[in-house]
Amino acid sequence: MGQGADKHKLSNGMVLLGERMEAVESVAFGFVLPAGAAVMPSGCCGAANVIADWIFRGAGVRDNRQLGDALDGLGLHRSAGVDSAHITIGAVLEASNLSAAIELYGDIILRARLEDGQFAPARQLAIDGVKGLDDDPRHKVMLKLREQFYPEPLGRSAAGEIGELETLKPETTKRIVAETFSPSRTIFSVAGKYDFDTVVGWMEKLFGEGKKSRAKSLTTGDRPGRYKHIQNEGTQVHIGLMMPTVRPGDKDYYNARLAVAVLSGGMSSRLFTEVREKRGLCYAVGAQYHAMKEAAGIACYAGTTPEKAQQTIDVIITEFNRLAEGISEEEIQRAKVGLKSSLIMQSESSSSRAGSIAGDYYMLGRVRTLDEIKAEIDRTSVDSVLDFLRRKKFKEFTVVTIGPREIKIG
Amino acid sequence: MEFKVHKLANGLTVIGETNKSAESCAVGFFVRTGSRDENLQINGVSHFLEHMVFKGTERLSPFAVNEHFDRTGAQYNAFTSEENTVFYAAVLPEYLAEITKLWIEMMRPALRTEDFNIEKQVIKEEIAMYKDQPNYDVLDRCRLLYFDGHPCGNSVLGSEEAIDAMTAEQMREYFAARYAPNNMVAAVAGNFEWNQIRDIVESGCGGWGSRDVKRELADTRGSRAKNRIEKASLAREHICLMSPGTSAQSNRRFAASLLSMIVGDDVGSRFFWELVDKAIAEVASMGFDSMDGTGVNCTYIRCSKDNAHKAMEIIANIFAGLAKSGVTADELAKAKNKVLSALVIKNELPMGRLVDLGFNWTYLGQYRTVEQDVAAIKAVTVADINALLKDYPPGEFAQFSLGPAN
Repeated sequence: MGQGADKHKLSNGMVLLGERMEAVESVAFGFVLPAGAAVMPSGCCGAANVIADWIFRGAGVRDNRQLGDALDGLGLHRSAGVDSAHITIGAVLEASNLSAAIELYGDIILRARLEDGQFAPARQLAIDGVKGLDDDPRHKVMLKLREQFYPEPLGRSAAGEIGELETLKPETTKRIVAETFSPSRTIFSVAGKYDFDTVVGWMEKLFGEGKKSRAKSLTTGDRPGRYKHIQNEGTQVHIGLMMPTVRPGDKDYYNARLAVAVLSGGMSSRLFTEVREKRGLCYAVGAQYHAMKEAAGIACYAGTTPEKAQQTIDVIITEFNRLAEGISEEEIQRAKVGLKSSLIMQSESSSSRAGSIAGDYYMLGRVRTLDEIKAEIDRTSVDSVLDFLRRKKFKEFTVVTIGPREIKIG
Repeated sequence: MEFKVHKLANGLTVIGETNKSAESCAVGFFVRTGSRDENLQINGVSHFLEHMVFKGTERLSPFAVNEHFDRTGAQYNAFTSEENTVFYAAVLPEYLAEITKLWIEMMRPALRTEDFNIEKQVIKEEIAMYKDQPNYDVLDRCRLLYFDGHPCGNSVLGSEEAIDAMTAEQMREYFAARYAPNNMVAAVAGNFEWNQIRDIVESGCGGWGSRDVKRELADTRGSRAKNRIEKASLAREHICLMSPGTSAQSNRRFAASLLSMIVGDDVGSRFFWELVDKAIAEVASMGFDSMDGTGVNCTYIRCSKDNAHKAMEIIANIFAGLAKSGVTADELAKAKNKVLSALVIKNELPMGRLVDLGFNWTYLGQYRTVEQDVAAIKAVTVADINALLKDYPPGEFAQFSLGPAN
């Protein structure tokens, strides 16, 4: 398992990746379409979100209802997500229905009907989704944090902006689909129970047409800001904090992952111990590595009642800064074991493997084997992580808070 | 797959299902206790106690517990519901024995007053966090309204006031009364050696004394009360409906899950086509929650305040349509496909399997294979579902709404 992925490139450039898993009866697949939030034309923030809904409202010979019924009839569990670079659509299902499912997705990607009558509800749901974020400050603060942290347009909200969604037209949106839904720049991945040659045959037939196209290069602007507070009369102050770090593929990538694991891997990690276990400041506190192809960061969340908010952020920043002063051998060992075992456990899930291999290919241009990742983790040490932290000091914290009280950033 | 069971003299049951092709395994303690087993004075104690279990034993400090788990790379946590407190860890096979021993040790926690006082702050932050998530808050409030004095309406987290007033001594008493071996199941799933784990549990837990443990098990049809609370800070209307459902012990639970899939799955259901597809509500879902001796169907809707009335009219029509004409064969066939594939996918992971294994034993005292559940789902007929609709009409609901001010 996880020891070398299947790979095939169609003549138009579309990449097909696969990983067989002997122990499962399920199969998961995903289409990674180069139509994410950052590539939407300016003034169309949120269009990708509308598109991810609209394309399911009828495709090929099926209208909205017929398509929904056909997908449901296969018992598949759909997933659809929009991030900065991509719209990813896929599903996990029992293996015997894979060919029928891929055929339906072929229609959705290449022959979505995109009827005007179906545009209004798709757009309305996107608008309502943005409005709903006001009632979910924990989620909203992390979206706003990325907006502040990443250079424009990378951090653009995948959910969208209400003003821009309200003026979005079906014609414009149709044009965006035509320009961005290019099979030649799509990554397809499959994991679980399947036969790769058979899958390649289906894909050739469904997606083999069309010319190669090249991605428009992205021009990035400035980072919008250092601290932003959004006033809300809720119970807690929701704190998002982010700082730059190295991207996947960088020689220090694994050192960075280890550093984040020391800070926020398991419950013995620094943030959980100092913020929650010793001081009782928060229920939820944690940091994660977050990467795009163009930039990466460490994103931290904490939620706490207003009177504890200042102390919480002070303790968190102290912990980030203290990391370069020293890390124990035991801490590094725990971080390594944690990363390796979660890797192995994720390898048991077909949907998680399908996502990983596509992510690797997009970021690195190839799929890493589990053995390679394990070896790279093993190669890190207290010295290598400390050396990395001292060369690339944490600075330029970007902070967003939502809640009844502002905080001071040192 | 091979199933094994062993009952200790003190009443603790160990169960295991081995799957040699798995890469990992999962181990858990299922304690039959939750907020329904509390009184109002100690409301929230089950959940607070779940946190305190991680604070260690006479021998282990809280930090030592966390470090021990993390040294093995375990993915571990716990959750508390109205009627269960479950401690679990997914681990690589080579660490299973060690982690099982750790859980056993932790099941007899020190419950130190100083740890209790720090953790009380964390619990209050958790309560505050859920207050900022109206989709959870409305569910808690609707449960209280529906259960109308029945203990299943007790909040899992408890109120801030109850937590403030609670003492460590009250928690110790509750622990002694509820964490008796005859009120617990130890379960293991995945790639492991049964004899080894059985012996570890036997020698680690065999000395615990059993106790007489009771639970109030009266069924209830709930109230049909309606209430709405306004909050100036809210942007959307959050509506929760609860109606009676069949229990975890009933064979009709399979029909009940299929019905909730037909009515309120995220996609493809009656709610989806009438409410979400038409953008009247952005979220509309129904779930079936089978419990010990009772059960509820729970609907959650999120929409604009302006659409709330219209959404409720549509729901009333859907429920009236179900009462009049029942479900169709085509709807049932699709729901079966969805329920079956979800079941198979979930059970592919030892952690997913552990949960079903533990709950089947807790509720039914029974081992059920995935194949038995698959067969039970396949056997459900349209007539079964329509009979269920007659006995448990979803139209007879309690309703709680949280929304913006007028």
